[in-house]
Amino acid sequence: MRGVWKSFGSVAVLRDVALTAAAGEIVGLLGSNGAGKSTLVKILSGAYSADKGEIAIDGDPVRIDGPRSAIAHGVGLLPQELSVHNDLTVAENIFLGDLPMRRLLGLPAVDRGEMARRAGSVLKQLGFDHIDPGRLVLSLSVPEKRVVEIARAVAGDARILIMDEPTAALTDQEAKSLFQVLRRLSEQGVSVIYISHYLDEVFEICDRIEVLRDGVNAGSFDTETSDHDAVLSAMLGGAVEQLYPEHGTATGETLLAVEGLSVDALLTDVGFSIAKGEIFGVFGLVGSGVESLGRAIYGALGPLDDGSLTIARRAYRPRNPRAAKAAGIAFVAAERKQEGIVADLTLRENLSLPFLDRFGSAVRVDVGAEKAHARHWIEALGIRARGPEQRIRFLSGGNQQKVCIARWLVEGMALLILEEPTRGVDIGARKEIYRELRTLADQGLGILVLSSDVEEIAGIADRAIVLDRGQVVGRSETPEEPEALMAMAFHEAASHDAAQEVGA
Amino acid sequence: MTTQSLDRPAERRHFGELMGKPWAGVAMLLVFYIVLLAAFSILSPWFLSFNNMMSIGTNMAFIGLMAAAGTPLIIAGGLDLSVAAIAGLAGVIVALLNAAGVPIWGGVVVALFIGAGIGLLNGALATGLKMNPLIVTLGMMSIVSGLALVLTGGLSRPLFDPSFNWLGSGRFLEVPVPLILMLIVFAILWWLMRFSRFGRHLYASGGNAEASRLIGVPVARTQIILYVISGLSGAVAGILLSATLGAAAPTAASDHLLTVIAAIILGGTSLFGGRGSVWGTLLAVLILGTLNNGLTLMDVSSFWQDVTRGVVLLLAVALDIVRTRAAGE
Repeated sequence: MRGVWKSFGSVAVLRDVALTAAAGEIVGLLGSNGAGKSTLVKILSGAYSADKGEIAIDGDPVRIDGPRSAIAHGVGLLPQELSVHNDLTVAENIFLGDLPMRRLLGLPAVDRGEMARRAGSVLKQLGFDHIDPGRLVLSLSVPEKRVVEIARAVAGDARILIMDEPTAALTDQEAKSLFQVLRRLSEQGVSVIYISHYLDEVFEICDRIEVLRDGVNAGSFDTETSDHDAVLSAMLGGAVEQLYPEHGTATGETLLAVEGLSVDALLTDVGFSIAKGEIFGVFGLVGSGVESLGRAIYGALGPLDDGSLTIARRAYRPRNPRAAKAAGIAFVAAERKQEGIVADLTLRENLSLPFLDRFGSAVRVDVGAEKAHARHWIEALGIRARGPEQRIRFLSGGNQQKVCIARWLVEGMALLILEEPTRGVDIGARKEIYRELRTLADQGLGILVLSSDVEEIAGIADRAIVLDRGQVVGRSETPEEPEALMAMAFHEAASHDAAQEVGA
Repeated sequence: MTTQSLDRPAERRHFGELMGKPWAGVAMLLVFYIVLLAAFSILSPWFLSFNNMMSIGTNMAFIGLMAAAGTPLIIAGGLDLSVAAIAGLAGVIVALLNAAGVPIWGGVVVALFIGAGIGLLNGALATGLKMNPLIVTLGMMSIVSGLALVLTGGLSRPLFDPSFNWLGSGRFLEVPVPLILMLIVFAILWWLMRFSRFGRHLYASGGNAEASRLIGVPVARTQIILYVISGLSGAVAGILLSATLGAAAPTAASDHLLTVIAAIILGGTSLFGGRGSVWGTLLAVLILGTLNNGLTLMDVSSFWQDVTRGVVLLLAVALDIVRTRAAGE
C-alpha cells in the first residue's frame, strides 16, 4: 500500500501512509488509538475505500472496492471480536462463503463429505487436526475459535492475513499456541499484518514493526535489532516515561474485609482485605474466577452463597448494584461496549448517569450542572472529546474508559472496583489511567483491580492475590515481579494446563 | 490538509454535518408534512379549512394517544402490542357498567384502573420473568380482545350520556376536546422525556440495559412504569373513541394497532430502543392523519389509502437510513 489518504468529514485520519509486507513476513502494526491502524487495514480489507492511494499485491496494482473483492484478492481479515457462528459446525464455519456443492436428485446440495474432508486438511495444515470438523463451534475454546477463523481465511486462499488484537481474550498459554499457527502460515508464504497493544507479544511474533502516529508513518523497526523503547517513543512521539506510576505504601485502616466468599461453581472461600489508599490487585487467568470476584462483591451476581464482608467496619451484604452504590462501592466492567457505556447518549449523560439524583430534581435534571461536571472531568483526566455533548460512541476506547471511571468519582464513594481496566485501551491512555488510579488511592480511595494481564497487576498493585479455579492460590505483599505471580497461577494449575498443552 | 478538502467538497461536508444534528430527522418529517399540506391545499378546495384541520385532529387523537405512550416504552426497550385491544376493552367496560346502573364516571375510573393493571401485568411479565415483550403483549392482545368479545357477545353497546359524549365530540374554544387531550399528553411526555430524571433513565435503559443495570439505573422499574402508562393510554383512547362514536365496539380500536406502531417508527424511534422522540411521533401521527383525510377528500378509495400509508412508511424509514449515512455515522 502506498500514498494512502483517508479522511472522515474534516478529520484527516491517514496522510500519505505506506505499508508493505513481503511474502511470509509477519508485520506488526502499532500505534496509539486514533493513529489510523484500524482505518488502514479496513481499507486493505475493503470495509472503507481510500480517498487516494494505491494497493499492489504480488507487484500488480489491484482495486479493492468491497469486502468480497478483498477476499478475491487473497486478503483475509480477522476482526478483534470473534466472528464465528456458534451454532454451525467447524466445517460449515470454514466454508461458509464458498460451500462445496454436489447434485442430489438433480438439485444442488451441500457436499458434507467433501466439506468435512477439506476442513480436516486445512486444520491439519494449521497443526490443529485434533479439532473435529463436525463439532459445533459452540463447544470450542476461544483460541480454537480463532483457529477456525484463520482456517476460514486459509481455505479462501488468503495470502495476506490481517489480525486485529487476536490475543485480547486469550491467556499467555493460548496466545503461544496461536503464534505457532502464525509461524506455520508464514512458512507457507502467507503474509500476516498483526495489530496489537501488547508490545512483548509483537516483538515475539513479528519480523518487522511498522508504527503509525497521527495518521502518518512514524518508523519501521526490525524486531531482531531494535528494542521496546525505540518503538514506544515512535508511537508516543517523545521520550517514554515509565508506564506505571510509583508503588504506594498505604498502611491506612482497613476499608474492605472479605472472608469466606463463595459463589456457586465460580468462587470458593475467597478472603482478603483492602486498606484505604491502597491499590489491591487480583490476578488470574481467564476462567480462574477473576471475572467473577469483582461482580460478586458489587452484588451484580445477586446475593452470595456464603461469605461475610465489611466495608469501613460496617457489615455489608452484596445484593444488587444499587445496594453496593449506597455502601460506597463503584464498579467498572471489563466489556465497555456491552456493560459500560450507553453508546447513543452523550459524554455528559454517560458521566452523570449513576448519580443523576445529584443533578437537579426528579422533574428537571440540571443540565448546566451536568455540563460543568463533564467539563471538569474532561479537563482533569485529559479526556479527548469535542465537548460534553459529543456522543460517547465516537470516543476512543481509552477516553470511554476514562468516562467510565470518572462517573463514579463523587463524594461518598470509598471503594472502586475495576475489571480489566485497560483492555482495548491504547498505551498513552493506559498510562494516564494508571496515574489517575494512583492519585485516587493517594486521596484515600481503596481500589480493587482485577486483571488477567499479569504485568498490569505487577505494575499497579501494592498487594495482590492470585486466583485459580475460584480459589486464592497465592498472596504477594510486594507484587512487582510478574513472573512470581504467573508462577503462583501455574503452581496449582500445572497438571491441568499440561493436559491442555498435550491436547493442543 | 489541502488535498483533503479537494477530495470531499465543502457543500457535501456541510450537508453531512446538517444531517447529523439531533433534530435533523424531525425536521425532515416537518418538511414532508408541510409539502403534504401544500399539495392537498392545491388539489382539493375543501382541504385547507379550520374545520377540516380540526376533524383530522379528532380522528387522529385516539391513535395519537396510544402512539405517544408507546414511544417512550419502545425507546426504553419495551413494546406494547396490546394497547389497541385495551382500548376496545375499556370502552366495553364503561358501556356494560353503565348499562348495569353504575354512574358513567365510575365506569371510566374502573376502565382506567383495568388498563393500568393490564399494563402492570405486561411489565411484570416482560421484566420480572424476562419474557420477550413481543410475545408477552401479543398474548395479552389476544386475551384482552377476546375478553372484550366475550363480555359483549361481539356486539356494539350504545353509550349515550351528554357529558360523556362531550369528551369525544365537544369543543373547547373551537378546538375538539380529544385533540386537546392528546396534545396535553404529548406535552407531558415531552417534558418527562426531555427534562426529567425518569426520562434520562428510560433512554439509558433502552440504549444499554446491562450497562444501566450495572451502574444502578432502575431499569425494570422504569420499564414497568412505561408499560402502565401505555396500558393507561390505551384505556383513555378507548374511552375517547366510545365517547366520539356514542357506542362501545369491542373491536373498534384493534384495526388501528398497526397505525400506532407505524406512527412510532415513522417518527424516527428505533425499534431496538435508545433513540427517538415524541415530536417525531406527533408529526408522524399528523402526517398519517392528513394523508387519510386528503385522499378521502380526493375520492381515493380507502383500499388505496392503505397502500399509500405503507409506501410512505417504507419511504420515510429508507430516507432516514440515507440521512444517517450522510451524517457519517
